[in-house]
Amino acid sequence: MNDAILSVRDLNSGYGSASVLRNISLDIKKGEILTILGKNGMGKSTLLNTLMGFVSPFSGKVMLNDKDVTDIKPHLMARSGVAHTPQENTLFPDLTVEDNLRLGVTSDRLFQQRISTIETIFPRIIERLKQRAGTLSGGEQKMLLMSRGLVAQPQLMFIDEVSEGLQPAMVDRMAEVLIRARDELGISVLLVEQNLDFALSVANRFMILKLGEFIEQGVVDDRTSAEHLSAHLAI
Amino acid sequence: MGSVTFDVLTTAAILFVVSTGLMVILGVMKLLNFAHGAFLTTGGYVAYMAGLAGVSPWLSIPLASILGFLFGLVVERIVIRPLYQRPLDAILATWGLGIVISQVFALTFGRGVQFAPSPLSGTVDFLGVEYSAYRLAIAAIAILLAFALIGLLSLTRFGLNARAVIVNEDLARGLGIDSTKVRSLTFGLGAGLACAAGALITPLLSVDPNMGLPWLVNSFMLVLVSGVSFPSLLFASLVLGGTQVLVSTYVSPILGGMTIVVLAALILRLNPKGFSRA
Repeated sequence: MNDAILSVRDLNSGYGSASVLRNISLDIKKGEILTILGKNGMGKSTLLNTLMGFVSPFSGKVMLNDKDVTDIKPHLMARSGVAHTPQENTLFPDLTVEDNLRLGVTSDRLFQQRISTIETIFPRIIERLKQRAGTLSGGEQKMLLMSRGLVAQPQLMFIDEVSEGLQPAMVDRMAEVLIRARDELGISVLLVEQNLDFALSVANRFMILKLGEFIEQGVVDDRTSAEHLSAHLAI
Repeated sequence: MGSVTFDVLTTAAILFVVSTGLMVILGVMKLLNFAHGAFLTTGGYVAYMAGLAGVSPWLSIPLASILGFLFGLVVERIVIRPLYQRPLDAILATWGLGIVISQVFALTFGRGVQFAPSPLSGTVDFLGVEYSAYRLAIAAIAILLAFALIGLLSLTRFGLNARAVIVNEDLARGLGIDSTKVRSLTFGLGAGLACAAGALITPLLSVDPNMGLPWLVNSFMLVLVSGVSFPSLLFASLVLGGTQVLVSTYVSPILGGMTIVVLAALILRLNPKGFSRA
């Protein structure tokens, strides 16, 4: 028993016979944002997909609130209080904004109870409830994506490169929302990112993933050197 | 408005009713259900048996839909679910299932035709035309069914989940939707609709072990042309069914029998998306 909401131990995963992740171990505490940094192809999205149950691990253990959730079915992981915002194919473009948000919760009653939370965070999304999600701008789609995760009132969010393609002002807005989700709602976040400035502005800790293995980790504080970390993200 | 106009409208209604079960399963499960014809036949025999038992012919339709739904749940669990990762094998399995069901009916009832009582008999004067009361009733039922299915998909939580699974099953699963349950209920719904359709059309025709086969072919063509959309299926039923009636009436019933297949092939040749906007 430890105070981690999510514990991963010696996780090995990949596709078919191709190994992508090797000996991955990490902990996330309640109300903590842990960012996983790494270049493209290092295994960041595979890590989230394995934790969510989309990819079966070769070995290792994943514990959520001390309950073994290794290789759990994705819908059961979601119902255990984990919201996943993937990097691609993230919305249902032909459904309305409202329907996309409704899909974030398991019942329409819960949706009605929680929609007010979104109104305070992203009022622009509430103004567009009847609009088709595919007609929103890129920034608004990211707002909807975050809103769908937050309306679930999860204990843990897996967020995959939410800052990608966003204007600086919108990136700042996303950072504000994540910090608010952590500090006011107590939500823990596993944030996969390549945008170093954004990641370090919100995270409590960082881990660097290179070729499927963690090569460095630490606490984000005044001494954290963005210049040093950016070397790991350079192409 | 002459009787031919009513023939067009009621034929379209019958085709719509017969095809909905196939479209529901194809839309959500991406599965071409070759057992659809056998499910129609099952509904026909339910109507026949209900008639023998003295049950009201009207009750035979909901009875067939309930039995079909339960039968569909069992078939999905035993036959379809183990083959989710092998879609071609799943299609072949439904084909085999259709043959087995037909043979079971042949063994049980023989290969001869049987008749089910009609809930409505005779004609009524409607808009100045003496027309079959039961065919008009089927048209009304088709309209109600269309609204009910559109409402089910648009207004209910099950419909929202089903639409999510149709568009992006992995994303739906990541949001907590049990896509296995959605698939199971969908197959049950499709089978239930097919059985209800079989019970509905049997009083117009007769039932035999291969009764569903010609309907299966026409349903496939309509669903291919319409895509996964109930309004589009209604339109396709009207255009293709209407043309079939006109060719049968004014040219040749033999040519009329192949009209839907030929017209569907032509439409898909000219526009691969058919009547679908997707």
